Amino acid sequence: MLEVNQISKAFGGIRAVDGCSLGVERGSITGLIGPNGSGKTTLFNMITGFYQPDGGSILFNDQPIHHLLPSQICHRGIGRTFQITRLFWKMTVLENMIVPVRHTGWRTLFSQGVKKHEEERAMELLELVGLTNFRDEEAGKLSFGQQKLVEFAAILMSDPELILLDEPAGGINPVMIEKIMEMVDALNHQGKTFLVVEHNMRLVMELCQHIIVLDHGQKIAEGKPAAIQNDPLVLEAYLGSTEHVGA
Amino acid sequence: MMRLLLSNRIWLPLGLAILLAYPLVQRSQYYQHVMIMTMMAAVLSSSWNIIGGYAGYTSLGHAAFFGLGGYLVALAHNHFDWHPFISTWFLAVIVMTVALILGWISLRTHGSAFVVVTIAMVFIFRLVALNLSSITNGARGLTQPRPGWGDVQWSPDFIKVPFHYMMLVLLCLTIFASWRIRQSKFGLGLIAIREDEGKAEAVGINTMLYKVLAFGFSAYFMGVAGGIYSYFFTYIDPQFIFDVFTGVTMVLIAILGGRGTLWGPVLGAFIMEPLGNWVIGTFGGTQIHLAVFGGILLVVMLFMPQGILPTISNVVKQREKARVANAVSQ
Amino acid sequence: MLGQAVLPALTQRQSLLFCQRSFGIVTLPSTHLLIQTVILGMLVGGVYALMSSGLTLIFGVMRVINVAHGAFLILGAYCTYWLFQIAGLDPLISIALTAPVLFLLGWLVQRYVLSRLDNPERSSVLITFALAITMEGLMGTFWKTTLRSVKPEYASQVIEFATYRFPVTRLIGFSAAILVLLMLYIILQRTNLGRAIRATIQDRNAAQLVGVNVQAVSAMTFGIGIATAAAGGSLLSMIYSFNASSQTDWITRILSVIVLGGMGSLPGALVAALILGMMEQLTAVVVTLYWSPIVFYLFLFLTLIFRPQGLMGEITREKA
Repeated sequence: MLEVNQISKAFGGIRAVDGCSLGVERGSITGLIGPNGSGKTTLFNMITGFYQPDGGSILFNDQPIHHLLPSQICHRGIGRTFQITRLFWKMTVLENMIVPVRHTGWRTLFSQGVKKHEEERAMELLELVGLTNFRDEEAGKLSFGQQKLVEFAAILMSDPELILLDEPAGGINPVMIEKIMEMVDALNHQGKTFLVVEHNMRLVMELCQHIIVLDHGQKIAEGKPAAIQNDPLVLEAYLGSTEHVGA
Repeated sequence: MMRLLLSNRIWLPLGLAILLAYPLVQRSQYYQHVMIMTMMAAVLSSSWNIIGGYAGYTSLGHAAFFGLGGYLVALAHNHFDWHPFISTWFLAVIVMTVALILGWISLRTHGSAFVVVTIAMVFIFRLVALNLSSITNGARGLTQPRPGWGDVQWSPDFIKVPFHYMMLVLLCLTIFASWRIRQSKFGLGLIAIREDEGKAEAVGINTMLYKVLAFGFSAYFMGVAGGIYSYFFTYIDPQFIFDVFTGVTMVLIAILGGRGTLWGPVLGAFIMEPLGNWVIGTFGGTQIHLAVFGGILLVVMLFMPQGILPTISNVVKQREKARVANAVSQ
Repeated sequence: MLGQAVLPALTQRQSLLFCQRSFGIVTLPSTHLLIQTVILGMLVGGVYALMSSGLTLIFGVMRVINVAHGAFLILGAYCTYWLFQIAGLDPLISIALTAPVLFLLGWLVQRYVLSRLDNPERSSVLITFALAITMEGLMGTFWKTTLRSVKPEYASQVIEFATYRFPVTRLIGFSAAILVLLMLYIILQRTNLGRAIRATIQDRNAAQLVGVNVQAVSAMTFGIGIATAAAGGSLLSMIYSFNASSQTDWITRILSVIVLGGMGSLPGALVAALILGMMEQLTAVVVTLYWSPIVFYLFLFLTLIFRPQGLMGEITREKA
C-alpha cells in the first residue's frame, strides 16, 4: 500500500534519512522503531508532505505522493497524529472534529460550517473515545490524555485508509494506552492500515504484526515482533544508545 | 438582562434604523461627513478582518487595494464618463484579481515576513503611482468632476446624502459577506489556519488556496470603498492613499474592536474614526494624530491584545460561570 | 528630500563632456560616470551598513524586527541637529553624546515594552510599528515638518581625485561608518558581552543553559542597536535632509538591507548594504532619480518571497 524507495533527507550536514526503503502492507499494523535520531519523525514528515525528500520516491496505492502538499496527501487517504499533540486549541472539541476535510469542492467550501450529518458522525467518533460530554469545551481545556484522544478521533473524520501514529502512547497512563491499543486493533479489523512510531516496546510488540527498525536514517531490520526482539543488529542499535529493548 | 442588552436582535435593527434615518435627521455637513468616514472605516477594517482577523495574516499594505480602486474609478470617470456609483462595483473586481495574484505570490511568507512584504507592496504601488505620471498624473493626483448624476450636480446641502446611503449599502454587504464567510467551512478553515497552519494543512485544508481567496475577498470591498472615496473627495494622490498609515489605521481599528470577530472592526471604527476626526480637527496642522493612533495601538497591543469585544465577552462568561457555580453550591 | 542625497556632483556641462547616451527612459552612462556612480554607491552603502547593523543585531538576538529603527535614526538625527544648532557641536563629535542617551532609551524600551511580548516573532512588527508611528507623531509635533540638515563648514566641499569628485560629507560618512562598525566588531569578538551576544544569536536556549542571562543580553543588545542608530542618525543629518516623516523611507531601506543580507547576519548586512547602495545610485543615474527607491522595495519584496534567508542568513526549518 505504501512504498518508500531510497528516500533521503539532509539538514545542513546532518543526514536524517539516508537511502531508506520500506513498505507497508495494506490492512496491517506496522511498527516503526529505532533509537532517537534514527529518522522516524523525518520519515513521517516526508510521507505526509511536510518535507520534500532530497532523493527517492514515495508511492501510495502505486501513485507517487512525495511532491504533493500535505493537504493533498490527506485527501488521498493518509491521516496522521503528531508527536506533540496538535489541536486547534481555541476551538471547541466539536469544531476540531469538523475541520478535517477529505473532499473539497467549491460548493462545500462556502456551505454551512457544521452540517447535520457531519455533526452526527463527529458525535459517533466522540462516543468511540468516550468524550461526547466535551463537545462544546475548548480543546485547550482538556487534559493531556483527552486531547490525544480528540486528535485521534478527528483524524478518523476524514476516513483515511492509512493512519500514521506518532508516539500515540507518549506521556499517558497505562489505562489510556490500553484503550488506544484496543481502538487501533478494532479499526484495523475494520480494514484500516496503521503505521506506528513508538518507543513503548510493550505496545509495539503486542499490537504490531510487522515491525521495521531504523537506525541512522536507514532500515536495518524488519520482520515479526519475535524475530525483531532477538535480532542482534537491532539490539546493538539500541544498546549502543541508552534505550532498552524487550517487554 | 445582560444577554438581552448584547443581543443582535436589538442592536441590528436599531442600528440599521439609526443609520437609515441619520442624514435626514442630522443636517450638519460636518457630522454627515464623519458618519460617512466612520462607515467607510468600518468597511475597510471589516474586509481587512477577513485575512487579518479570521486567517491571522496581518497585512499592513491593504491600502494598496483601497488606492487602486480609487484610481481605477477616477480614471474610468475621467476617460469614459462612467459614474463611480456604478463603476466601482465592477472595477473592484479588477482590484480583487490583482489581489489574488499578489496574494498568490506573497502568501508564501508567514508571520513577520508577511507583514514586511505587505509594507513593501504598498510602497511599490505608491512609487509606481507617483512615477507613471502619464496615467496617474503623478504627485498632482487625479481629480474628478463634482458629484452629481447625469447633468445634475448635487447641491451643497444634499451632496453628502447619496454617499451616505452608498456607504451604508457597502457596509451592509461587507458585514453580510464577513458573516457568511465566518459561518461557512471556508471561515472555519481560515480560523484553523490562524490557530495552527501546519495542522490545518495536515487535516486536508489547502491553506494556500484559502489564504489567497481570503486575501482577494478582503481586497474587493476595499476596492469599492476606494472608488467611492475618490469620488467623495473628488481628488486622490499617491502620497495619501498608498500610505502605510492608512493601512495601519484599519488594522488598529480591527484590533481595538476585536480582530477575528464579526462586529469588532465595526465597533472599533465607531470609536476610532470620530475620535481621529476630533483629534485632527482640534490639533490640525500637527502630527499629533500619529502619536495618538500609535499610542493607542501600543496600549491595546500590550494590555488588551484581544480587543474590546472578546474582552467583554470573556468577562461576561466569567460572571456566568461564577453565577452558575454559586447557584449550584446553594 | 531625496535630491540632495543622491545626485553625483556633476554639472550638466560635465555630463555632456563625458558623453552620456540616452535611450528613452534609460540613459547609459559613460565609463567615467559609471565608475564614479559605483564608488559613490559604495560610500552610500557604508552608511547604510552602519544604520542596518543595529537592526540585524537586534533581530539575531531577540528575533524582534524593530520597525521603529528608522524612527530612532531620525531621533538621533534630530538630536545631532539640535546639538549643532544650539552648541555648534560637530555631528561626529555629538555621537559621543547621542549614542549613550539612545542606548539608555533603547534599553528602557526593551526592558519595559518588548520584554512583555510572549511571541516576539509574530507580534514584534506591529508593536514596533506602533512605536515608530508614535515617535514620528511626537517628533513631528515638536519639531514640525521643516526639512532639516546639519551643515558644518566642510559640508559643501568636494574632494577631487583623478577627475572623480566626491562630497566630503560622503567620504566622512563612509569612514565614520566603517569605524563604528569596527568598534561593533571588536565589542562582539573581544568582550564578554560580545561573546554572550553571539552565543544568544546562535542558540538562545543553549546560551541560557550555559549561564547566559538572555534577558539582560537582550536589553543590552537592543541598547547597542539603538546606539548605532544614534551614530547612523548623526551621519544621516550630515548627508541628507530629513524630517519626522522620513523615518518610513529609512526603515524601508534598512529593512531591505538586512533582509537581503540575511536577518541576524552582520557581514550579510554589510555586503547587502554595499550592493543596494550601488544599485540605488546606478538606478538614479541610468533611469531616473525618482525610480531609485524601487530598488529597495523590489529587493525587499522578492527576497522575502523567493529567498527568505537572504544572502548569508540561516534557513529556519519549518515546523511540522
